[in-house]
Amino acid sequence: MGSLTPPSRHVVLVVEDEPLLLMMATDLVEEAGFEAVEARSADQAVEILQDRKDIRIVFTDIDMPGSMNGMRLAAMVRDRWPPIEIIIVSGHVKLGKDDMPSRSVFYSKPYDAAKIAAQLHRMVSHL
Amino acid sequence: MLIADLDEHAALLDRLEALEAYDIMDSPSEPEFDGIVQIATALCKAPVALISLVDAERQWFKARVGFSPSETPLSQSVCRHALASSDLLIIPDLKDDPRTRDNTLVTGEPFIRFYAGAPLITPDNITIGSLCVIDSVPRPHGLDNEQREGLRALAGQVIALFEARRLSQRKDDLFRRQKSLTSHMRAAANETLAAQEAGGVGTFEVDIETGQAKTSPAFCRIFHLPVAPIYPSSLFEGMVVESDRGLQSSDLGRREATDSLDVEYRINTDVGIRWISRTASFVHDESGRPIKMIGAVKDVTVIKRAAARVQALLDLGDRLNHLTDTESMAMAAADLMAKALDATRAGFGIVNLADETVMMQPEWTAPGVVSLSGRHHFRDYGSFINDLRLGNPVVIPDVTQDPRTRDNAQALLDLDIRVLVNVPIMDQGRFNLVVFAHHTHPYAWSTEELAFLRSFGDRIQAAIARVHAEAEQMVLQRELGHRLKNTLAMVQAIASQTLRPVKERNHVDAFERRLHALSTAHEILLERNWSSAPVSNVVEKTLDRLSVRERIDIVGDPIMLGPKGTLSLSLVLHELATNAIKYGSLSNTTGRVAINWHVEGEGDLSSFNFSWQESGGPQVAEPQANGFGSKLIRMGLAGTGGVNVRYEPSGFVAQMHASLPQLQQADI
Repeated sequence: MGSLTPPSRHVVLVVEDEPLLLMMATDLVEEAGFEAVEARSADQAVEILQDRKDIRIVFTDIDMPGSMNGMRLAAMVRDRWPPIEIIIVSGHVKLGKDDMPSRSVFYSKPYDAAKIAAQLHRMVSHL
Repeated sequence: MLIADLDEHAALLDRLEALEAYDIMDSPSEPEFDGIVQIATALCKAPVALISLVDAERQWFKARVGFSPSETPLSQSVCRHALASSDLLIIPDLKDDPRTRDNTLVTGEPFIRFYAGAPLITPDNITIGSLCVIDSVPRPHGLDNEQREGLRALAGQVIALFEARRLSQRKDDLFRRQKSLTSHMRAAANETLAAQEAGGVGTFEVDIETGQAKTSPAFCRIFHLPVAPIYPSSLFEGMVVESDRGLQSSDLGRREATDSLDVEYRINTDVGIRWISRTASFVHDESGRPIKMIGAVKDVTVIKRAAARVQALLDLGDRLNHLTDTESMAMAAADLMAKALDATRAGFGIVNLADETVMMQPEWTAPGVVSLSGRHHFRDYGSFINDLRLGNPVVIPDVTQDPRTRDNAQALLDLDIRVLVNVPIMDQGRFNLVVFAHHTHPYAWSTEELAFLRSFGDRIQAAIARVHAEAEQMVLQRELGHRLKNTLAMVQAIASQTLRPVKERNHVDAFERRLHALSTAHEILLERNWSSAPVSNVVEKTLDRLSVRERIDIVGDPIMLGPKGTLSLSLVLHELATNAIKYGSLSNTTGRVAINWHVEGEGDLSSFNFSWQESGGPQVAEPQANGFGSKLIRMGLAGTGGVNVRYEPSGFVAQMHASLPQLQQADI
């Protein structure tokens, strides 16, 4: 996997409440050559975002317990940390463009790991 | 005689007596009854419908569609079996039923196979026959609920019409006599004037030169005018309601003798709208010039309204079926109610129970009647909201008399409301909408009309309940779809964790892709609530996901598949496309695939034919080992279908066909 690793490893914050899905998403992110930071809820994600300044991409599920869901998290990220890129995944079929923050992309679950990996690379290529 | 026979004999005597009272057997056909059998055939989608009356040795048909004899002996009657039952008699297959399998209409021409009849029960609880529908093919499922209810309602209307007919029979006799008057008309008319008044038939004679009409006292009463020997005929013409103008006679029409001789129209009177049936003839002078128009009128309001109510109930069913929001349902209902009741204003309002107000929506009004749209407080007009709150329809024949409104009558009269009808519509247990009809004049309500209103309300209620049920169903299906996708995501996660040590990643990838193909098929189905999906959608989405869409030429009929067919087609397509990407025409940069599908045959025997034809790829040969993908392809689209796979020099070809009804099945 070393050959896939970019010179400096970009950090992706993976937000997912379901352990199995979190594990898979983390593997995906790491196999794509990124450093993964895990959060089990949107609230925890916000704490991490406040502490760490090196997060480049937030990769979040929508339906999560806690005071906010993935959509509200995405909106907050866009508002408070504008440079961060956003990937949203959900079992819901579709989201309208208007429902999503700007510069965010949506993938329906179950997602194609190769497509997510390609998306992560695209996002850091124009950082 | 056995007890059963005695009972049967008593029932027969009752029946013969009731038929005698209606004086209906062997009467000529009448459009009201013909209309009912027409509606029954349309409602039940059956070729034959009959109003069958059963006497001692035969059944006779008052009206019939699709059946030529006007009567049959009792031995051929299926209807007589319906006499014993107080509800519908449905025989799904007459050939199987011991009561009918030897009936010569079943064993020979016209080979009838299905029967459904609603008993015709008089107000005295005597069954005199049935309204039935007959089909030439058996119907294992009989009639659906709507058809059963419709047939029962129509049977009720037949009896209502028989009753109305009995009441007007005497009038008819006089009327028929009146029509045959010729040169003796005047003398004869004088003699029968008194009789006519009792029977409600009025006569008139218009002098064509002057336009003056001589009118009998009964005529004046029918038109609700003070009794006077002479009126200008323009006065009567002015009473005709606007939408019926042109039917009544006029100066010009009389001069040229072109006026219709038998017409029906509505007039505005002090007691509201009345239906008039008028028949006339012209008297000519020696040179053949018309000089007089002589004729008779009668009030046919009761009969016309009975027919209008039947029509309104049937139309309501039709219109509610196509609507999905409660407000358009309320509007459709108000519109039909206005027609059936000759109302001067009809519409609906949205109720706010907290402050007891109603927001009246723009409504239908007769010309010259002001609109009520806007907010109103119920209590400004009386206390009838107490009844509405309980879900009871409110019918106030005269607002100045009814205890619920008489103290507020002036407020209502100021709005041209003399008669008030409010039907509450309960939406999810709450009184949310009120459908209303008003009259400017007191209106005598018959029990049939009140029953009509109640049934009207019930039907709107049922339709709204249906809409809610459908909406809930949709939410439930979306939620299930969502959970299914999450479950597939979990399967994906488990597999990716479990298969981490596996070195041959291509197997793991193939598994994941198949999982995605399945998930895509679910997504397409979810768009239509798991009912069906267009073939073109399935093809486009599956190929799009594999990023090969632009290399494929797609031609096919617009066809919908059910959940089963959709899943099966998308999985097979996925395997075809991945094979082509690995080994076939999509493995280079120039090869293409042509996809075609079409339907052959019709109905139960129709087949769905699908072909996949590769071209411009490398030479292909049959693979040595048979992988999961090839197996799936060879299994085709559905159990009974066929698959033809060929490795031709031009490229790989797969042709599949399967029963379309199987692929369209609703269950999975």
